[in-house]
Amino acid sequence: MAKDVKPTRKNLMAIEDRIDLSERGHDTLEKKRDGLIMEFMDILDQAKDVRSDLDSDYERAQRTLDMARAMEGDVAIRGAAEALKEHPEITLQSKNIMGVVVPQIESTRVKKGLDQRGYGVLGSSARIDEAADAYEELLETIILVAEVETAMKKMLDEIETTKRRVNALEFTLLPTLYENKEFIEQKLEEQEREEIFRMKKIKDKKEREEEEAEDEPDVTEGAPIPADD
Amino acid sequence: MSPQTRTVGSSNPEYVNARVRARRAALFDEEEYRKLVRMSPSEIARFMEESEYETEINALGSRHSGVDLIEYALHANLAKHFDDLLRWAEGSLYEFIANYLRKFDAWNVKTIVRGVYAGADEETIESDLIRAGEFSDRELDRLLDARSIEEIVEQLSGTIFEEPLEDAFADYEETDTLVPLENALDRTYYEHILDNVGSVSGEPDDPITRYNEFLQAEIDFRNARNALRLARTGADIDPGEYFIEGGALFNRREMSGLVANREELLTRIEESTYGDRLDEALEELRDAESLIAFEHALDIALSAYADRLANRYPMTIASVLSYILAKEREVDNIRAIARGREAGLSEEEITEELVIL
Repeated sequence: MAKDVKPTRKNLMAIEDRIDLSERGHDTLEKKRDGLIMEFMDILDQAKDVRSDLDSDYERAQRTLDMARAMEGDVAIRGAAEALKEHPEITLQSKNIMGVVVPQIESTRVKKGLDQRGYGVLGSSARIDEAADAYEELLETIILVAEVETAMKKMLDEIETTKRRVNALEFTLLPTLYENKEFIEQKLEEQEREEIFRMKKIKDKKEREEEEAEDEPDVTEGAPIPADD
Repeated sequence: MSPQTRTVGSSNPEYVNARVRARRAALFDEEEYRKLVRMSPSEIARFMEESEYETEINALGSRHSGVDLIEYALHANLAKHFDDLLRWAEGSLYEFIANYLRKFDAWNVKTIVRGVYAGADEETIESDLIRAGEFSDRELDRLLDARSIEEIVEQLSGTIFEEPLEDAFADYEETDTLVPLENALDRTYYEHILDNVGSVSGEPDDPITRYNEFLQAEIDFRNARNALRLARTGADIDPGEYFIEGGALFNRREMSGLVANREELLTRIEESTYGDRLDEALEELRDAESLIAFEHALDIALSAYADRLANRYPMTIASVLSYILAKEREVDNIRAIARGREAGLSEEEITEELVIL
């Protein structure tokens, strides 16, 4: 790599600028990575909680539904479900966590009142209410899990990308730049040494020539000056 | 559509009671439930194939399987038995029984309305009907042919459901939910349950007085469970809209006040004539939020009351009523066992849910 670089002072200055920029970038990215990891750990704790809520809510919902199907009959439960036409609505918004855009899911009409579930109140039972309640709660938890786990995955992707960038700077770009800088510095020093040596040689040569010139007898001294023409 | 008219002529409780006694003796007993609880759904179906339910299991075996087969066979058998009751009864006895069995007419109309509302095909809707009410097969088939809810309401003209459904239809069109229609159907059933009961003497030994008390208890229990459900939901609902006339526990205005104060509502039930029978369930309801155990206790109390009446007045409508409840109980129990086994519930859990008297 270093052999491709022309050992000039201009290149050295450019490399030094790049090193400076890369080091600053490295520090910033390292801070971002650490910040992201801290945020991720918070989200991870939240994700663990909502996942465990999801498991317990699902178990409860399934159990109440099983009991309702057993005691009221499958036909009655299916009929009550068919009476509902209005489905929950979900709106997707986004929020920014350290530059990572994560979804924010807002749900409406998930939790319904007794008079909004479609089936008649007078002829139905608490078992159907409790199964509907449990499934409404489950749906709310599923939406929350979707929000938290998507945020977690996006954070994880960003951490991975940032980590790759930090590593690329730390283990590839910066070492190469240092190597190039060293190479150019060595070359420039070598050139400088050569220059000094050359100058020294020239100086020595000049001095030698001067000394020789001083040592030679002045043949022109006392001789008649010839006429120009 | 017009209701069947079998009210002409004298009543024949002796004949019907004799037939009902034989039917009642054939119902599953505790020992048979104990066996069923230990069986898998397919074993239950096989057990039923060798019992009273043989015809229905064989007839439906090619269309359904598993627990669905059991449930549909139970419905078909229930319908056959209750249809027999209406066939045997004459005069005022027919009226009493028909009044009570109209709950299946309400169920069937609700099923058809829900099917049409959800866009289900005719075959699916038909399989969910329980042909145990007063409507004949031809009348139900005509309802099944209806393409819209408006058409169903029109088809019901001449029945007890005509006027309430027409009123509720306007609400349905406004809200596009089935709640007003379903409530109107159930309310009509309950409010007509006391029709034709005749003069109540108030004498303790008068069977009509006791029968009237039983029907009132059924309405009271329905009002009590609905009041508790409304109290639990906390939604901004007018409780008066869900009140069924005919009970003795509280009136419409009282119910509105009691729904707002759950504790007062529980105390009111506790201090009523039903308090002794519901004592334990009320205590449990105070401790736990779930209403299920309380509803279970209401079902047991109602069945036990009907059985007591039947034992005390064996030659009256009380025996028929007690048989109807016992048959429904059997159907509910077998279905609970089969569905419970399918869902993997333990023997203890299933046994706890059964109503065995």
